[in-house]
Amino acid sequence: MANIAVQRIKRELKEVLNSDEVARCSIHVELVGESFAELKGEIAGPPDTPYEGARFQLEIKIPETYPFNPPKVRFVTKIWHPNVSSVTGAICLDILKHQWAAAMTLRTVLLSLQALLASPEPDDPQDAVVARQCKDKPQIFHLTAQHWANAYAGGPSINTDYENKIRRLKDLGVTEMNARASLSSCDWDLERATEQIFS
Amino acid sequence: MSRLQVRKVRRNQTIWPTVMFTKTDHQFLDEITGKPEVKTSLNIPSNSSEFTLPVYIKAAGGKTFLIQMSRDWDVARIKMFIAPKLGLKVEDISIILAGKSLADNLLLEECDLGHNSILNAVKLKVVKKDDAIPTNEKKSGGTPFHQDKPLCETLLDLQLTEEEQKLLHKSLGCSSPEYKQKKAHFYVYCESPCKSVQNGKLRVRCSLCKAGAFTVDRDPCCWDDVLRPEQVSGTCQMEGCDHSWAEFYFKCARHPSQGEMDSTLPLYLVKSNFKHVQCLACMDISDPVLVFQCSSSHVICLECFQQYCLSRLNERRFVFSPNIGYTLPCPAGCENSLIDGTQHFKILGGEQYQRLLHFGAEEYVLSVGGVLCPQPGCGMGLLADPSCRRIQCTGGCEFVFCRDCLQGYHIDECQPNGDGNFQSMLTSTEYVVDPRRAAQAMWDADSRVTIRVTSKPCPKCRTPTERDGGCMHMICTRQQCGFHWCWVCQTEWTRECMGSHWFG
Ligand SMILES: [Zn+2]
Ligand SMILES: [Zn+2]
Ligand SMILES: [Zn+2]
Ligand SMILES: [Zn+2]
Ligand SMILES: [Zn+2]
Ligand SMILES: [Zn+2]
Ligand SMILES: [Zn+2]
Ligand SMILES: [Zn+2]
Repeated sequence: MANIAVQRIKRELKEVLNSDEVARCSIHVELVGESFAELKGEIAGPPDTPYEGARFQLEIKIPETYPFNPPKVRFVTKIWHPNVSSVTGAICLDILKHQWAAAMTLRTVLLSLQALLASPEPDDPQDAVVARQCKDKPQIFHLTAQHWANAYAGGPSINTDYENKIRRLKDLGVTEMNARASLSSCDWDLERATEQIFS
Repeated sequence: MSRLQVRKVRRNQTIWPTVMFTKTDHQFLDEITGKPEVKTSLNIPSNSSEFTLPVYIKAAGGKTFLIQMSRDWDVARIKMFIAPKLGLKVEDISIILAGKSLADNLLLEECDLGHNSILNAVKLKVVKKDDAIPTNEKKSGGTPFHQDKPLCETLLDLQLTEEEQKLLHKSLGCSSPEYKQKKAHFYVYCESPCKSVQNGKLRVRCSLCKAGAFTVDRDPCCWDDVLRPEQVSGTCQMEGCDHSWAEFYFKCARHPSQGEMDSTLPLYLVKSNFKHVQCLACMDISDPVLVFQCSSSHVICLECFQQYCLSRLNERRFVFSPNIGYTLPCPAGCENSLIDGTQHFKILGGEQYQRLLHFGAEEYVLSVGGVLCPQPGCGMGLLADPSCRRIQCTGGCEFVFCRDCLQGYHIDECQPNGDGNFQSMLTSTEYVVDPRRAAQAMWDADSRVTIRVTSKPCPKCRTPTERDGGCMHMICTRQQCGFHWCWVCQTEWTRECMGSHWFG
């Protein structure tokens, strides 16, 4: 990898590890392997959001031309959020695209992602299904996001109603993950979800 | 008597002039410098003694003498030495360097001279008194006129704001050697022979006849005075030339002067980093640095600047500005931060700078519907028949390729570029997580194959654009295009695309 990118990442790691946010366990970064080309990030779900109490892992890939081009970041932990693909974890955030500037750092990226969790932008969605739910049925969106945070990211609130519905589909031979995805996209309408899966 | 025309030096730049001194010259020099002989191999600066300095004296008639001087000579001694050779009285001679007639008590070592520098020796047209300066010049707001010191000395702080000058003064003390060194902060890109960023020396000449025997009426006080024509007036000391506008130019301070035409454009954004500001990219503290013209005055080290320019060149993201040409903004994304002197891109080095010079021509090719050869390292602009899918890089690398997919030419339909099975790969990795470990569920490592970087040509301008597995919404990275298109349909991005295959 380019010398500048390596040097920069080394310094940024130091910056992040000495930051207040790390001290409060709100963000974390570590290297994957020895190349500096890939890192593992982690952010805590912000308070007063459906993601509170959950932790989300991120895959961070550093391009050869870093910091003149943005790092490629996606969620590794599954998440229900209008700006993150519920399938691949791809993120739609302007600073990871054309609004990136060389003065930004891994720390600012992680903090921006945290901010994105706190204030979704359903008008610029990565996941059209989630976005529609977020806009039209905010109540259901909130519960679904909370449920996903519990199922995949160690979030605290257990939704027995949703779990029962998932179990019903599992009894029909559907995997838990598939059942959860279908029910979530059908606003937890068991009939519609069943139809969607078996059609 | 040895006479050497400067012109000779210019014509034969690689071979240094061997100067034959007559016996009388030798004797005379011996007497004055106490050296047994005159060294004539002048091309290696470190080779010559700390105390001697070969300097050309150029007389009004165009005659030039090479004289081995001692660094502790003062200007009066030079005058004494050359007076008999010029047939002038000592008191009539003026020694001119960089726009100033030098004071008698000034020492040579204070003059910012390099090896083979040229001093002009003339009989001044203007009397060396303040009241000889035209009254209108006195009124103009420039810095006070310093007769005694060469211009380069009085000008060294040109790059600094008043506040910065004070800071430098305070932190170093103005007599310390470090201060003097920091003050030498003009930079140039020396294309030949140094091929690198070097300290520069400011020089002045007559803007009409280009003679160095020119005295200025005032010191320039800002970059505009130096860079734009007809800002500072003066007197051309050449016989038969009445021109009164000075022209400023810069020389590389590292290599011995190769004559009066050996000049280069100043890198006025490159400065001494005496405030120890971090590079915005690598966060190192380097010296010198390039300071952008944005309101935050962002600093970048020269190595990172090269990297920045190179990545933007490869991505075709240089910006066109009608007044400047192809250029770049501050990489921190600041407004109104375009570099307005394209000579700064010479820092890229000869080969890459040549690529940048071709950039404009290539942009033209694209704007009229042409194609750039997709072969790495080629990029030749090709104007081919739009109805024909087979394109050959004629006159370039001779690669034959398909206009639609930019792969090697093929007769049947374009292959989906190894990306057609994207959908199936996604579905195959959807059910991998063990439900019992659901609390730690993540997309498994195999799904990374879908993040593989692939590229397709922009449907509008054919610039290859990379996709890293994010969404299907593509924005052409080429600055002059910026077309929004769909990776799947390879046409313009629509709401339809958003609804049916946003992320695969
Ligand atoms: Zn040079
Ligand atoms: Zn002239
Ligand atoms: Zn740097
Ligand atoms: Zn800036
Ligand atoms: Zn070619
Ligand atoms: Zn093709
Ligand atoms: Zn394009
Ligand atoms: Zn499409």
